[in-house]
Amino acid sequence: MKREAMTDPDGNGQAAPPRLRSVVRAMIWATVPVLLLVQLLASAGVEATSFWSQIRQLDARIARTAESRAELIAEPLWKMRYDQVTGVLNEIMHDETIAAAAVYDDTGVAIARVVARASDQAVAEISRPIKYSNGNIAVQAGRIAIAYSYATVYADTGSRLMLLLIVGLLATLATVVAMRISANIFIGRPLAAIMSAIQRSKQDGRAYPAEIRSANEFGQLAQAFNAMQHTTSGALDRLGHMASHDPLTGLPNRRSLSERLVTLSDAGSPDSLIAFCFIDLDDFKGINDTFGHDAGDRFLVHISERLREAVEPQDWVARLGGDEFVVIRPEVSNEATAQAFARQLLDAISEPIRLHDKQVAPRASIGLAVRRAGDPELSHLPALADIALYHAKSKAPGTVAVLDEALQRDYRRRRDLELAIPAGFAEGQFEVWYQGQVDLESAAVVGLEALIRWRHPDHGVIGPGEFLPLIERSGNNARLTRYVLTDACRALQRLAAAGRPDIRIAINLPPSELADHSLAAELRATCARFDVAASMLELEITEGSLINNIASASETLHRLRRLGATIALDDFGTGYSSLAHLRRFPLDKVKIDKAFISEIPDSAEDKAIVGVIASLAGTLGLTLVAEGIERTEQAAAMREMGVTLGQGYLYHRPQPLAAVLQGLEGRTGEGRVRIDSPSVAPEFAA
Amino acid sequence: MTIFLRIMLAVGMACGVLAPAGGIDAAAAKSLNIVFVSPGKTGEVYWDMVAQTMRAAGRKLDAHVEVLTSERNYRTMQELGFGVVARADKPDFLILSNEESAAVPILEAAEAAGVRTLLLSNTLIGEDAKRLGPPRQNLKSWLGDITTDLQTAGARMANALISAARAEKWQSPDGKIHILGIGGDEITPASIARNAGLQLAADAAPDVVVDRMLFANWTQSEAEQVTANYLRWAARKEIRPAGIWAGNDPMALGALRAITAAGLVPGRNIEVVGLNWSEDALREIKAGRLLLSDGGHFLLGGWSIVLLRDYADGCDFADVSPRVEVKTSAITRDNLGSVGDLIKTRAFDRIDFTRFRAKAGHCGQYDFSLDALVSSLPLPDGVGD
Repeated sequence: MKREAMTDPDGNGQAAPPRLRSVVRAMIWATVPVLLLVQLLASAGVEATSFWSQIRQLDARIARTAESRAELIAEPLWKMRYDQVTGVLNEIMHDETIAAAAVYDDTGVAIARVVARASDQAVAEISRPIKYSNGNIAVQAGRIAIAYSYATVYADTGSRLMLLLIVGLLATLATVVAMRISANIFIGRPLAAIMSAIQRSKQDGRAYPAEIRSANEFGQLAQAFNAMQHTTSGALDRLGHMASHDPLTGLPNRRSLSERLVTLSDAGSPDSLIAFCFIDLDDFKGINDTFGHDAGDRFLVHISERLREAVEPQDWVARLGGDEFVVIRPEVSNEATAQAFARQLLDAISEPIRLHDKQVAPRASIGLAVRRAGDPELSHLPALADIALYHAKSKAPGTVAVLDEALQRDYRRRRDLELAIPAGFAEGQFEVWYQGQVDLESAAVVGLEALIRWRHPDHGVIGPGEFLPLIERSGNNARLTRYVLTDACRALQRLAAAGRPDIRIAINLPPSELADHSLAAELRATCARFDVAASMLELEITEGSLINNIASASETLHRLRRLGATIALDDFGTGYSSLAHLRRFPLDKVKIDKAFISEIPDSAEDKAIVGVIASLAGTLGLTLVAEGIERTEQAAAMREMGVTLGQGYLYHRPQPLAAVLQGLEGRTGEGRVRIDSPSVAPEFAA
Repeated sequence: MTIFLRIMLAVGMACGVLAPAGGIDAAAAKSLNIVFVSPGKTGEVYWDMVAQTMRAAGRKLDAHVEVLTSERNYRTMQELGFGVVARADKPDFLILSNEESAAVPILEAAEAAGVRTLLLSNTLIGEDAKRLGPPRQNLKSWLGDITTDLQTAGARMANALISAARAEKWQSPDGKIHILGIGGDEITPASIARNAGLQLAADAAPDVVVDRMLFANWTQSEAEQVTANYLRWAARKEIRPAGIWAGNDPMALGALRAITAAGLVPGRNIEVVGLNWSEDALREIKAGRLLLSDGGHFLLGGWSIVLLRDYADGCDFADVSPRVEVKTSAITRDNLGSVGDLIKTRAFDRIDFTRFRAKAGHCGQYDFSLDALVSSLPLPDGVGD
């Protein structure tokens, strides 16, 4: 089993990419042929030397035999005892290597001849003189010749080679077995242990140690591996914590949220109500801008601590990022208690905080969604709560908005509209309406402001306040601006054709367009196309768009101004109302926000403010435009304060160009054409 | 029977005539008790004949000869010898033959027991001779030895061969007379002496080559084999074999067989000589196939009794030398008639051993020649009568 694990650790069908080649098998494959070869060569070498030495030994032995026999035979041969000669000769035939032997006397005649067997192979022959001597004579009595065969040497060598081969094979086999066993014990097992630890670690993402207790390299490897696993384990834990927690506040993060929701749906009874509070800090950006990011971070930490303190142990607090927090209470009795809980959270957040020795009162909005634990759409809770939050933020910041049918309807409508934007462009559903700008003295129309409307086939005419954020979010600002620009130029052409070339048209530039350097060129090209002067165009910008990128905006404005276009600062007084801006940027007009107009002439304060603005503008040489004039008293008050131009329902409502042209022809001075358009925030135009 | 009676009578007469004439006081002579431990085997011709001549002489010279046979076992021989020496009634003389030097311990035991000894045929050799010295020196009771001069015999045989070959002009193409020597063995003094005689004669004859000295263990069959081998070899070497010298008669007979087998005719193409006076040899001599047979040394048995009788009677052979060497003689076709019958019948009682005793005043001087023997024999029947 170990061996299987070693040779084929991935054999059990785990996704093992390439076929695993066992290191032990590779070692054996690498070693065994060499071993075998070396053994065979060594045996062959040894055997060859042995063979030659045996041949030499045999030669020497036979020579000795011949010599010793010659000595023995000398006397009987000389004394002609030929039977004895034969006897002696016969004795040597016990030597099985000798095939035949013969003794010749001094006349060369064979005295004795013995043949052991018919020699068939490798016969060597040796001949020795037979010398006889006694006290008187020393003669050569004859000669002995021995024929012998190397067959036994060959056979011996062959059988020894075979034996060596077998022994070599057995030794190799034994080595292989020993290698396998020892490799399994010393390599395979530790590897398998480490592999198994890695597999287990891979499976559930935790770092398991390898169970190896040995003092060798693998023991050290395992120790190192385990140390690494330990480190990895810590790192994984930290990583896991980091992945699921916000490093600043230590609260769970967005990642944890979905897990938490799954846990909630799984645990507890499906009927229990879950309260999901989506918290968003209001104007956190302002705090960052005012106090710096460190303070902003500290602020967030404070908030998180307050949330932690405000909740029960069973509740769950998370920071989703930026200034967004989530608090989940897994069991509430009804929606009312959930709402009370949310308000409680708001109260906790709203306690003043000291930042840079300044008291700051945090403010947050909460979107609350309550659902049953068994709700199959439980995972949509964040989105639902976000809908409520959106509502709260947009309609009543600093409050709790509970998700209800109406909110969901709004949400769905928003989503539908957003999806319908491309079709809106393609099918020309966007319409540009124009609202007249009049000279407050003469009430004569001196200009028009282009205002965008969406004539949606299902939802009817939709005001810019509703769909412009959607346009911006979907990245269609530039397209819409070009659309409006083109329409405005066409309108100018028609105005000129209608004999009113003096009427200018103002179009609203969203902040993003100020950063677009190509705008000036396009404007010029469009004007050229419709053969209208760029000076007949007025570009309205907001203070906010200036602030975000002062340099770029300034550049674009100067270019536009060089083309002859006039620049108007829209909605002045609501935002920063920076006097510096009035001086720094190449402005021609300032439009006073209608918020200052609506209470006039009743509000002395507003009158004072408008008065200050008017005198300032006069000093700076800027033309003032009062927006939202609805009553004649207002117009009068403006005139008194030196505001020269006005805009509002008192004079003209926004209407399609045809209606505007018609009005101009009739010189009615007032927009009598009633358009059944909803009274939407008219000035939030593209 | 009549023949036997006649012989007895003749002997009795001879004794009666010669005894007073012997110069030695016959009355003083006492009967001798002699024991002979024979190294040979019962049926072994030479030793049987030695014992027979001993007994025959004993009967002539008033000596009782007891023969103990070792049956060719030297251990037995020593045991027999020790037994004799240890006897309470010790013999007057103990005759031993120092074959394989086996008699030396007996000799020493006899010295200790005071038994006088005589060595026959084989005397002390080598280390023993050095250690014990000559007779009657270290060993007082060792009276001496009686041996045959076999070297002279060998030489005489060779010379006979050479003379015959020269006469027949049997030279080989190289002008030399080629002869073959067949020895019994290379160890025993008796053999060595004969072979030396051959060599001596050959060395003295520049026209003679002894092609080979072959050894046939005294036996006829081996001699036949080696002779056959020699003859074939000689044919290949283009040698004309002129004669074959055989160390004894059986080997000579073997050579004859081989010669015949090789298609040669002995006595006509080639001559063969032997030694031993064996009956077969005498027959071959008579047939003209064997040139001669030297020998007669079996008579040492009789001669030893003669020596001991004289010694016992106060005529010590050591006056000349304690070592008596007896010459052998050749029997040829010429003298075959006189001794052939004697040998054939082994009628050694026909020999008048008393005639061979030393003359008074000439102690140690003996004539044991063939001529003396022949003349000692009574005339053939016809003549005797």
